[in-house]
Amino acid sequence: MDNRLKQDAQIEDALKTYPLAEMPRSVTGDVMARIQNSTRPRLITWNDLVLSFGLSLSISAVYFAVQTLPPVMLAKLRIQGILLYQDFLVNARWLLPSLLFGAAAFLSALTIPSLIQMLKVRRTT
Amino acid sequence: MDKERTLIKRAQKGDHDAFAALVDEHQRYVYNLALRVVKDENEALDLTQDTFVRAWMALPNFRGKSQFRTWLYRITTNLCYNRLSNLRRSLNDLGDDVLQDIPETNFNNPVQEFESNENRRHLHQAIAGLDEKYRLLITLRYQNELSYEEIASTLNLPLGTVKTGIFRAKKQLRRKLIQLEDSWITA
Repeated sequence: MDNRLKQDAQIEDALKTYPLAEMPRSVTGDVMARIQNSTRPRLITWNDLVLSFGLSLSISAVYFAVQTLPPVMLAKLRIQGILLYQDFLVNARWLLPSLLFGAAAFLSALTIPSLIQMLKVRRTT
Repeated sequence: MDKERTLIKRAQKGDHDAFAALVDEHQRYVYNLALRVVKDENEALDLTQDTFVRAWMALPNFRGKSQFRTWLYRITTNLCYNRLSNLRRSLNDLGDDVLQDIPETNFNNPVQEFESNENRRHLHQAIAGLDEKYRLLITLRYQNELSYEEIASTLNLPLGTVKTGIFRAKKQLRRKLIQLEDSWITA
C-alpha cells in the first residue's frame, strides 16, 4: 500500500470512528411541553370560514334584495346605474380602471402575510 | 422500520406518546448534526428542540417519500441555515467538479496499517476544525450515515456539489495528516 492509499485509509478510519456527541440531557420533555401548548396549522382556518360565510351571505342578500324589489324601483335603479356609468365615462374615465386596479392591489396585498408565512414554513421543512 | 411507520402514522393523528417515542429515537442524531455545525451545546439543544417542534407542526404534510430521519435532518439544516447566514451560500459555492464516486478505502489489517491512535486523535481534532460546510457534509455522511444522494436531497444541492464538498474535506484532512507526519520526521 503506497503512502497516499495509507493516508486515505487513515482518514476514512478517522471519519468512521469520529464519535457521536453525547447529549447533555434529553429534550423529549421540553419538546412535549412545547407541543402541548401549540396547535398545528389547519388547512382552513376559522378566519377563512368566517370570511367565506360573510361573502356568501352578502351575495345572497344582494340576490334576494334584487328579487324582492318592486319592478319600478328596479327600473329606476337600473336607469340611475346607467346614468352614473355614462357620467363616469364622460367625466372620470380614469376612475373605474383606477378603482378596479386599486381593489386588485389591495386584495393581492392581503395575501402577502400568509405567503410569507408559507415560505417560512416551506424553508424549514 | 414498520414500528417507526406506525409511530409516524399515530403521531400524524395527534398521538403525543408516539411522537415522544420518535423524539427519543432520533434526538441524538439531530443534536449531533446541530452540534457539529454550530459548535455550541446550548445552541445545538435549542436547534434540536426547534427541529422536533417544527416536525410536529409539519408532520401531517409528511408523505413518507423520504425517510423520516432525512426529513428531520432537512429541518435541522434549514434551521442551521437560518442561524448561520453564510452556510447556505458557501455550500452552493462549492461547485461540482467531482462527479465520480469517491472510493472509500478500508484497512485489511487495522493493527498493522493504522500505526497509532495518535493519528486518529489528530484527525478527529482536524475534523472538528473543518469549515462548518464540511462538518455538515461529513456528519451527514459518516455519523448520520446518509448516502450521497440522500445528502443531496436533504440539503437540496446537486449530487456533484455534495461529492465535491466531501472530496475537499478529505483533502484538507490529508493536508493535516501530512503536516503531522512531517512534524514527526523533523522532531
